[in-house]
Amino acid sequence: MKTLPLTRRSLLAGLAAGVAAPAILRAEAVRASDARIVISSNFGPETAFQAVVDAFNAKELGVEAVNQFDGNYEEATAKTLAAISAGRPPALMTTGWKFGYYAKRTLGARDLREIDADAAEALIANFVPSVHPLVTVDDALVGVPWAMSTPITFINMEHWRAAGLEETIPETIDTDWLYERARALDAALGGGAHPTFRSALSLSNNEWTSQSYVQNAGGAVIDETGTVGLDRPESIAGMELFCAPAHEGLWIPVGSREQDAAFVSGALSIVTTSSTRVIAYPQSAPFEVATTRFPGVPGRERRMNSGGNFLGVYAQDAEQAQAAMRFLEFCASREGQELWSGVGYLNSSIHEIPPVTPLIAAAQAQLADGLTAETIWPGTRGFEAQNAWRNWVSRMLERVDPIPEAMARAQDEITALVSA
Amino acid sequence: MRGAHGGSLQTAGLVAPAFFAVAVFLYLPIAASGLLAVLDYHPATRAFSYAGLANIEAVWRDPAFRVAAWNTLVYCLVLVPAQVVVPLLLALGLREIAGSRLAPVYYACLFAPTLVSFSVAGAVWLPLLNPINGVLNEMLIAIGLPPSRWHTDARAALWVVCVVTFWKTFGLNLVLWYAALMTIPREQIEAARIDGAGFFRRVRDIDIPLASPTAFFILVTTVFTTLDDIVGIIDVLTGGGPFERTTNLPYLLWQKGLVFFQFGQASVVALVTIAIVALLTFVQFRFVERRVTYA
Repeated sequence: MKTLPLTRRSLLAGLAAGVAAPAILRAEAVRASDARIVISSNFGPETAFQAVVDAFNAKELGVEAVNQFDGNYEEATAKTLAAISAGRPPALMTTGWKFGYYAKRTLGARDLREIDADAAEALIANFVPSVHPLVTVDDALVGVPWAMSTPITFINMEHWRAAGLEETIPETIDTDWLYERARALDAALGGGAHPTFRSALSLSNNEWTSQSYVQNAGGAVIDETGTVGLDRPESIAGMELFCAPAHEGLWIPVGSREQDAAFVSGALSIVTTSSTRVIAYPQSAPFEVATTRFPGVPGRERRMNSGGNFLGVYAQDAEQAQAAMRFLEFCASREGQELWSGVGYLNSSIHEIPPVTPLIAAAQAQLADGLTAETIWPGTRGFEAQNAWRNWVSRMLERVDPIPEAMARAQDEITALVSA
Repeated sequence: MRGAHGGSLQTAGLVAPAFFAVAVFLYLPIAASGLLAVLDYHPATRAFSYAGLANIEAVWRDPAFRVAAWNTLVYCLVLVPAQVVVPLLLALGLREIAGSRLAPVYYACLFAPTLVSFSVAGAVWLPLLNPINGVLNEMLIAIGLPPSRWHTDARAALWVVCVVTFWKTFGLNLVLWYAALMTIPREQIEAARIDGAGFFRRVRDIDIPLASPTAFFILVTTVFTTLDDIVGIIDVLTGGGPFERTTNLPYLLWQKGLVFFQFGQASVVALVTIAIVALLTFVQFRFVERRVTYA
């Protein structure tokens, strides 16, 4: 076999070729598409979102989209802030509903109508009218409704049957019904009577499901006028109902990771959490999972909240903004929505898309009932207000303070933060 | 022949990269923090205005700052002695079995947790600590003891963070102690033994004085680790909760700066942290180093 001697000249030539190759390949890639947009997202490479991005790129519309996984809403927002301050904002970001004000007023999320009025109207027409207010901030259309979820109830049917409870789960439940069954599960399966049962109930220790309780009781965390409503009797009653099972010993408040792990391993009988778990829970759990609506408050009209994110445009450059609009058009299309539905979010579009699993029916029914937004934290200190509410929820669950006193103090602290 | 001027230039050239790195990556950020502490600044809008002492006042009045400062003190009081003394005792034990077949096994087992990152260390412990059906609770139940809520219990969370941090970090100090102890001549130890010195007497009068340079290094670096690196474990294990019971000053700094985007207040917390580190380092060098026996 003929070999080339390693000389200084051949070494330099090899090094030069090595350095030049990526640049040549990059040039080819750039020639293949006219514009390249970066999407800061909460979804990694093996997700339905990546499938949407790949399908869009496969169409070769002159725009190459790149999915950049930036962590959860808070982490992605922090990274986008850093990118904006460096003068290189992502073209798009999946922005949590709860950060709508911050996105518009601080991060400078673009009004889609300013970028292209006709295209913006055509885009939003792909979504049911009830979600239009969720992407309207300060009269601006700040994005396309993207991920929509709502808290629902998940039940371990193996526990349910072992405790001798009814086979048919009602479509609508209230706290009396739920807590009674949690007590029955605890009595029948607790104390080692069942090999995997450890706890009957978990309502999710966070700012979201507690908001559901406050609203279902007729109160508000922050009402439509932007007023903090935690010291209202209805809000206090809602939090008393929310904390009751923890104080009774039916619920061990933990984080979402521990809660999910406990449920899929068969240690937890009932969980109220995001409807997006309709995909993950049945995939991981070795037992039948049933779903129903989130528990209402007896004698009160149900007023459930949504969660999730919208796709906002942050590109200030005209070409980048137009390219972002092309991607949004694909996202809003039937094809984009069909690909996206695989992740387990609610279908908030006008397109008829078969449900990804029958378990999503409870969430879809709540959407049909009408959903409010999750709390959108206003002001430059809105993030602190959200954190403060989370802390107060934990304190009430832990019985650190009596609930009426905690709600009054939360009212004062959060009012100061959202009005700063 | 090279002149004195050429020698100075050469010296300056050699020192310049280090000087540049320290100036740019250490002193410049400290100066910038000092400036940001008196400004109301937001990087997205790039708008800023003079805030005077408002940021300092806001931090001082913030209950979260007082909790974080107190927790920082507790973490130091618990973890620094534990991470200095326990690895020393383990290293002494390892020295006793040095040369045996089991020694490398013990050595590897004790050092292994050091290899994982702080955040991974936190993640590894999460399934063990799950208050509903974690491994530790299952063990407690199996022996008839009541389960614990561990890191989700406001009274226990800080101690759980201490335990996990200790588990992750003690291995490095163990290696340092072990290396220092193995350099001590066996003859000296044997002579002391023949003279009737017991184990603790030998440790106090021979091992610790002869290993004192390493001990001083361990003390200084452990204080840094306890103040700073613990943030990764706090973030993964508790997120600072329950209701801020496990935060410390660097975690509060990160939270105020990169979660709440209050850069002025974050800079105040940074300056307080820098002042504490500087003070502790000064105390260590002023009062502890004089006890160090350099060969």
